Amino acid sequence: MVIDLKRCTSCHSCTVACKAEHHTPPGVFWAKVVRLESGKYPTVVRQALPLLCMNCKEPECEKVCPTGATKKRPDGIVIVDSKQCVGCRYCAVACPYGARNFSSDWTDYFTGEKKPSSEFAAHSKKKWMKESDKGVVSKCNFCVDRVEKGLKPACVNACPTEARTFGDLDDPESEVSQLIKKRRGMQLHPEYGTDASVYYLPAR
Amino acid sequence: MVKTSCGMCYGTCTVDVHLEDGIVSGIEGDPDSPQGYGNICAKGLSAPMMLYDPSRLNYPIVRTNPVKGIGVDPGWKRISWDEAMDLLTSKLKECMARDPRGLYTVGSPTFPAERAFNILSFRKAFGTPNYYTGGGGLHCGNGAHMIGGIYHASWSVIPDFKYTNLAIYWGCSKGHGAGHAANVAAKQAADAKARGMRLIVFDPFLSTQASTAEEWVPIKAGTDAAAALAMANLLVNEYGLYDADYLKWKTNAGYLIGPDGLYVRDKKTGVPLVWNTGTNKQDAFNSKGLKDMALEGDFEVSGVKCSPSFKILKEHLKKYTPQYASEICGVPANTLRRVAKDFGEEAKIGSTINIEGKVLPYRPVASIYFRGSQGHYNQAWDCMSLVLLNHFVGAADVPGGALAFGPPVHLGYPGTGKLKYSVEPDKDGLMVASNWPYAHLPYPPNEPKDPPQRLDLQDLFYIPTYTTIMAWENNEELWQKFKIPYRPDVMISFATNQIMSVGNPKTLFENFLKKFRFIASFNIYSTEFEEAAADLVLPDASFLERYSSATTFPTVGVSCHATGLGEWIWAIRQPVIQPMAERRPMVDVILELSERLGLHDKYLEAVREWVDRAYGGDIDLKKVFKPGEKLNFERLLDVIMKDRFGEDKGLEFFKEHGYLKWDKRVEEVYWRWFNDVRVPVYLEWIIRAGRKSKAVAEKYGVPDLVDWSAHTALPDWRPCPTHAEKDPEYDLEGFYWRSALHTYSMTMQNPWLDEVSQNDPYTYTIQVNAETAKRKGVKEGDYVWLENPKGSKARGRVHLTDGIRPDHVAIAANAGHWGKGLPRAKGKGVFFNELIEIDKEHTCPVSLGQDICVKLKLYKDGGARSG
Repeated sequence: MVIDLKRCTSCHSCTVACKAEHHTPPGVFWAKVVRLESGKYPTVVRQALPLLCMNCKEPECEKVCPTGATKKRPDGIVIVDSKQCVGCRYCAVACPYGARNFSSDWTDYFTGEKKPSSEFAAHSKKKWMKESDKGVVSKCNFCVDRVEKGLKPACVNACPTEARTFGDLDDPESEVSQLIKKRRGMQLHPEYGTDASVYYLPAR
Repeated sequence: MVKTSCGMCYGTCTVDVHLEDGIVSGIEGDPDSPQGYGNICAKGLSAPMMLYDPSRLNYPIVRTNPVKGIGVDPGWKRISWDEAMDLLTSKLKECMARDPRGLYTVGSPTFPAERAFNILSFRKAFGTPNYYTGGGGLHCGNGAHMIGGIYHASWSVIPDFKYTNLAIYWGCSKGHGAGHAANVAAKQAADAKARGMRLIVFDPFLSTQASTAEEWVPIKAGTDAAAALAMANLLVNEYGLYDADYLKWKTNAGYLIGPDGLYVRDKKTGVPLVWNTGTNKQDAFNSKGLKDMALEGDFEVSGVKCSPSFKILKEHLKKYTPQYASEICGVPANTLRRVAKDFGEEAKIGSTINIEGKVLPYRPVASIYFRGSQGHYNQAWDCMSLVLLNHFVGAADVPGGALAFGPPVHLGYPGTGKLKYSVEPDKDGLMVASNWPYAHLPYPPNEPKDPPQRLDLQDLFYIPTYTTIMAWENNEELWQKFKIPYRPDVMISFATNQIMSVGNPKTLFENFLKKFRFIASFNIYSTEFEEAAADLVLPDASFLERYSSATTFPTVGVSCHATGLGEWIWAIRQPVIQPMAERRPMVDVILELSERLGLHDKYLEAVREWVDRAYGGDIDLKKVFKPGEKLNFERLLDVIMKDRFGEDKGLEFFKEHGYLKWDKRVEEVYWRWFNDVRVPVYLEWIIRAGRKSKAVAEKYGVPDLVDWSAHTALPDWRPCPTHAEKDPEYDLEGFYWRSALHTYSMTMQNPWLDEVSQNDPYTYTIQVNAETAKRKGVKEGDYVWLENPKGSKARGRVHLTDGIRPDHVAIAANAGHWGKGLPRAKGKGVFFNELIEIDKEHTCPVSLGQDICVKLKLYKDGGARSG
C-alpha cells in the first residue's frame, strides 16, 4: 500500500472505514492516524501519519509467535489465525509499529456491556467474533476478504482525498511501484529490517 | 443495496447502503456519482451508529415539569402520536386565532432540502414571517452569504481547484473534510495540491489546510480585512496589478460618484453615468457607443463634481499601508507585500485559456474566505475586503479564479430544458440572482417593512439572512417601540439545538425561548434545547429512514457542490429501512398538520412558490392534485421530478437509480463571462438602503438600533469589541474551528466518532501555545477555565502546541454537551458558545451576524489533573 502524505488531511476516514468493515470493538483500532508536530512557533510543521499493519516482508510478529497463528501468505499479506492464537501477545511487543491489538472480550459501544444494545450491535458482534475470537490478538490484514473478491481494502475505498493506493509491490509496472519510484516513497523505520509493505509519499 | 444521499453533514454524498437480514450493515460511496466520487468520510461511515443508537427518540414525549430552564429535568412522559398530534394541533389553532405571526419556525442548516418542505413551506402556509436557521448565531454565515450573494450570486466562494495556481485562504479550510462540500472539496483540493496549486493560509491556528499549505501566516482573529485592504492598496496604488478591463465592464468601477457619495445619473433615464474617454463626455454605463471609460480623474457633469468610483476607492485604500495593517493584524508588513505581489503577478492579468473551444480570461488566483474570517463584528466588510482582491485582478468566475460556491446559472436539464435559471442585470447594471433560497434576494436591497413584522427585525434591513435581535436583552422594548402587536407564541423546531448553537445559552433562553407558550421540537435525540425549553418532542426519522427531494438543488444555498467543470446531479434521499419504532419523518407530520389546520391549499401554494424559485419553472400543484386528495410527500416528489425530468423520471426512477446526472456546461461554470452583469466595487446602494432602514428606525424612536455609519459604500476594517479590551487580565483571543470528524456537535453522540475524537489531540481540547502555557504555569492535560469579561466561562483540557499564535486559544467545534439525552456526548470537549454574547455590541451592524471573537483569561481549574 502507498499513502500519499501530500493528500492526507488527517480526517480519520480510514480509521472509521476499518472499524465499519471489521466491526472492531471499543479500544481496538487496526487503522489510525497520529499527528506529529515539530518546530517552534511560528516555524512549525504538523504532519498527519496514517498507521496500520505494515504487512512486513520480514515480520517480527511472525518470528515470535509460539503457535504459528501469525502467518505470511504467499501474496505478502500477514494474517492472524484466531483459532491458533492463544493471546500471549508476544507479537504485540515485537511489532515495532504498534499495529497489534488485544481485546479480551467484545463489548457494546453504547453500554460497555457484553450484551448487544441493538440489532446492529448484535450483527457487529457476530461479525467480530467470526473474524477474531475473544482473547486474541488482531490487526489489519489489508482487508484480505475484500482483496480476494477483487475489491480494494476498506480504507483505500473510503479515503476522501484518495491518498491511498493498493497493489502489487512485486510488479515494477504496478501503480504502487511507479508511485514509490516517482515520488520517492519511504518505509517507516527501514532500519529495523522489517521491509514494510506500506510506503509513504512525502508531503513536501 | 439502496442508493441514497448521505445526511451526516450537508455534503450529501451519494452512498450505497448495504443491508444484511434487514439491518444496515455498511455504507460506501458510489464511484459513478459526482457527489463524492465514491469516497466517504468518517461521519458518513458512522451513520449506522446513529441509526441504531439506543438514545434515539422512539416515541413522542411531553414535558411534565412546568418549570423550564437549562439543567432542569423536563420530566419527559411518553404519549401516543394521536395525543401528540391533538396537542400540537390545538396549540397551533390557538396561535392562529391569536395571531399566526406568533409562530416561530426554526430549521436545521444540515438539511436544506428537507427544510424547504417541512419548515419553510409550512411557515408560509401558516402565515408567519418568523424563521431562523438553527445556527442563526454562531454557525451562520451572515457576512459571508451576504457578500457571496452580492458578488457571486451565491452562498460563498471556492477556488477553481482544476485551474487555480495560488489560493489564499482566510480563516477557512475548504478541502479539509468538513463544512461546505466536505468530501468533494477534499478530493478536489488534494488533486489541486498534487497538481501544484500553492496555498497560503491566514489563520491564527495551524489548521489542517494551513498544515499542508505552502505557507501559514499566523494572523490575529478578526483582522483579515486590515490585511486584505493593505494588499488591495498595494495592488492598485503601488504595484499597478489590477485588471482594468474587468473593472470597467464587469464592475461599477467606472460609475461616476457625486459629492453625496451616490451615482451621478442621467437626468431623464436615471441610468448611472460613466466618463466616456472617446468623446470626453459623460455617457450611460450601457451606452452602445461606449468603447472605453475613465477609471480615474475628476469630472463635472451638469455642474456636479464627480469621479469614477474606482478613483474614490483607490484613494480610500491609501490609509491601509502595510505598516498600519501590520500593527492591527500582527502579520509583518513585508509578508503582506510579498503575498500581495505574488497574488497580483500570479493572476496573469490579460491572459486567456481555451476550454472546449471557448476562449476565456485565465486568472489562476483566488482569495477565499469563510467561517473564521466572517465571525466578527465587521463581518460584512471583512468578507467584502477579501473578495475585492479577486475582483481587482478579474479572478471571479473565470478559469482559475474564485468561483461561486453553488453556481447561480443553470441552463436547464438537457432532456427537458427545465430547471433553468440565471443571473441578470438590473437597471443599474448590477447583478441580480434569480435563485436564492431565503427571505429575499441579496440584491436589489429589500424595501424595509414599516413597521417591521418580524420579531428579529430582519425585515427592517436588507440582509438576505437572519439575526439574533429577538434575543437581545431589550427585545421587549424594541417590539413595543416598533409597534409589533404580537409576541413569541408557539415555536416549531426541526433538528436544531438552539441552546448550544446560537450564542450564550442563558441569554437565548431568558430573553427569547422562555417567552414562548409552547415549543414543539422534531429531533432524533432529546438535546439540551428540548430539555431546557421544549414542551413536546416528536421523534424524527433520520436520513436513512426518510425521503427528501433534491439534496443537491437549488445549486445556490445547498452546500455540497463540486467546483468547476464536471457533472450536475439531482439526487434524492430515500428510506433504506422503514422508520424504526414510532419515529416519523417530520414532513409527513407537517402534511398531516396542514390537513388538520385546513391549510391544504395554502401549503401546496407555498410548495409551488418554493419549487418555482428554487428549481426554476412553475407547476400549479393545486391542479395536479385531485380535489380532496390528501397531501402525500412521495406523490409530491413524483410530480415535481416528472415535471422537471420527464414522465419516465418520477420517484420510481430515482428510487432505483438514486440520482440523475448530466454534464456541466462551460457557460454555467464560468457564467460571469457569458452574462452582462456587473458587481459593485463601490457599494453605493448600501448608502441608500441603510438610509431607508435608518429612517424607519428613527420614525419609531430607535435611532441607534445599530451603528448606521457602517452602512457605507467603501470597505473598512472595524475592530471587534475584543480588540478594544483594556483589562490586561483578558490577554487571550479565543476562537473556534471545525473538526472534520464532526458536524457541529450532534455527531459527538456517535461512539465511533467520539472514540476517535478522544484519541485525537485537538478535537476535545483547548489548544494553547506552548510558551503561553509555560508563562501561565499550565501543562499538557491540565484542566483550565476560560472566562470572558462578562464572567461567562467554559472549562476544558489543555493541549499544548506551537501551531497557534501565543496570544490566541483555539477550540474545536462547539462541544461540551450536558443533556441527559446525549449520554455519549456528555462532558466531551469544550462549550465555546457559553463565551459568546448575544447583544448589539457583538452584532455586525450591516449583516447583523454574530461576532464570535472573545477575549479570555485562562486559569487553572482547582480540580485534579488528567491526561
